[in-house]
Amino acid sequence: MPEQLGEYRRIAVFGGVYNNWLALEATLADARRRDVEAVFCLGDMGGFGPHPDRVFPLLRQGGVLALQGNYDESLASGRADCGCGYTDPRDNHYAAISYRYTFGGTSAENKTWLGALPRHRRLKLGPHRVLMCHGSPRVINEFLWESATPNGLLRRLMDRAEADVMLCTHTGIKWHRALPDARHAVNVGVIGRPENDGRPNVWYTVLTAGPDLTVEFVPVAYDHEALACEMEREGLPAEFAETIRTGWWTTCLENLPARERAGGKY
Amino acid sequence: MTTRALPVIGSERSAPTAPFLGLSALWIQITGTWCNLECRHCINASGPRAPWLRPLDGATVRRALAEAETVGVKEIYFTGGEPFMHGEILPLLERALEVAPTTVLTNGTLIGPEQADALAAMAARAPYSLEIRVSLDDTDRALNDRVRGEGAWAKAVEAVRLMRERGLLPIVTATEITRDEHGAESGMYERFRDFLHEQGVDRPRVKIMPVFGLGRQPASLEPPLTEDDLEGFDRSVLQCANARVVTSTGVYACPILAGLDGARLSTGSLAESFVAAPLYHPACVTCRRTGMTCRNS
Repeated sequence: MPEQLGEYRRIAVFGGVYNNWLALEATLADARRRDVEAVFCLGDMGGFGPHPDRVFPLLRQGGVLALQGNYDESLASGRADCGCGYTDPRDNHYAAISYRYTFGGTSAENKTWLGALPRHRRLKLGPHRVLMCHGSPRVINEFLWESATPNGLLRRLMDRAEADVMLCTHTGIKWHRALPDARHAVNVGVIGRPENDGRPNVWYTVLTAGPDLTVEFVPVAYDHEALACEMEREGLPAEFAETIRTGWWTTCLENLPARERAGGKY
Repeated sequence: MTTRALPVIGSERSAPTAPFLGLSALWIQITGTWCNLECRHCINASGPRAPWLRPLDGATVRRALAEAETVGVKEIYFTGGEPFMHGEILPLLERALEVAPTTVLTNGTLIGPEQADALAAMAARAPYSLEIRVSLDDTDRALNDRVRGEGAWAKAVEAVRLMRERGLLPIVTATEITRDEHGAESGMYERFRDFLHEQGVDRPRVKIMPVFGLGRQPASLEPPLTEDDLEGFDRSVLQCANARVVTSTGVYACPILAGLDGARLSTGSLAESFVAAPLYHPACVTCRRTGMTCRNS
């Protein structure tokens, strides 16, 4: 059973930290200025960025209530790969570099911490029953893209979860859909890499209770150039640093549906 | 459709099964096995003469779409045969796109400027992604046409060009049928990606499928799966755990085995097919071994 939490009025939620400790610092500072009662992370602390262990003290000191993502599950259980399920050898090549680097740079203590994270959380936002998950409520690494997630599926997932609001991440691109029955599905986005729109900022989400739910996507600018330089010094692929600098995804493009793929450069 | 008792024949009676976990992918075998090509590796021996699996009528398709919508289907696929030989393909794609993201698997040979215009307009106004999978077995014209028939390469490549010009991003789908022609070192993804770049496709999308020993290929001699083969294997990753295929003779467990008696799970509604699927066929060995799916990714 998902862990039962308390009732809130206003919360901040983000996903996909991907070792991006500079964006995490900037996101937590931004959220503190917005009068939120709690900050949640929907998982995937590692991958992609530099210095994997730097995000953990920030998450703990920031009091972030975290979920386990597929990357976290893989790291904690010693899996051989990130669990994203690519078949294209180019995607697998880059995913393997990222995973090996992150696995080697994550301490045993932090892996244990990742292994102990819950996979779901429930809470109340005013009158709304909220379910948080990483990919989808049913599968930790299921991709819920905006253009590939039908309303009928959202209804089914939320019926089963007895939720009015479903929050997920995993894809890397935020979206919000208000269903005709006043329920909401929100992909909260990720703060670890920009969202394939040619801009280097990242995004998180502020949700505010009311008679209806208010969903606000918040752009976060951070020192992305400093991060890209750190990635280069760590020997991570130039393609990763290019994404951080330009906002265009260069790798792991296989799972993007047509519409999301058409929005990017590669 | 009326419901009849299903015959249980041969080895499927004792075969291990994959559990049914909910309908994620609905496949519509829209033209049955009716196709304008006669590829030598076709999994269901489709061709232009007397299809052994008849095309579906529009009303049956619409019923299946409505039923799938009520159970929260995630994605819909149209296959055949060649879907663009069906007189109602465009309105049925449009209807499917109201329900869920929809993919059509085509050989591309019937997609001219008018069809490409219609598909681009449909993709732009649909609430969900429209995906078009164009089959091309080799980037080399002669090697491709040896498998798919004279002229197939040029028409498919032209279809990709027409769609690219209209902002569509077709997924070029290849089987490994000509892999040995390229030597041990050849990387299929790389070869197709380079080829598409040469064609002016700046966001190339490629899907590779194994060759199955059925249909027009020699039958696989591999023994079917046993419970021992599946010990410790997560059967929920098999596509028959969450896909179903609607055809003119019933509902089947997966697109590879659609039309074969052993894979038929219902002769009536979609819901009646929501039962465990027998892993009785040598093709099930390929799925278990390769982790392949007929889905886009």
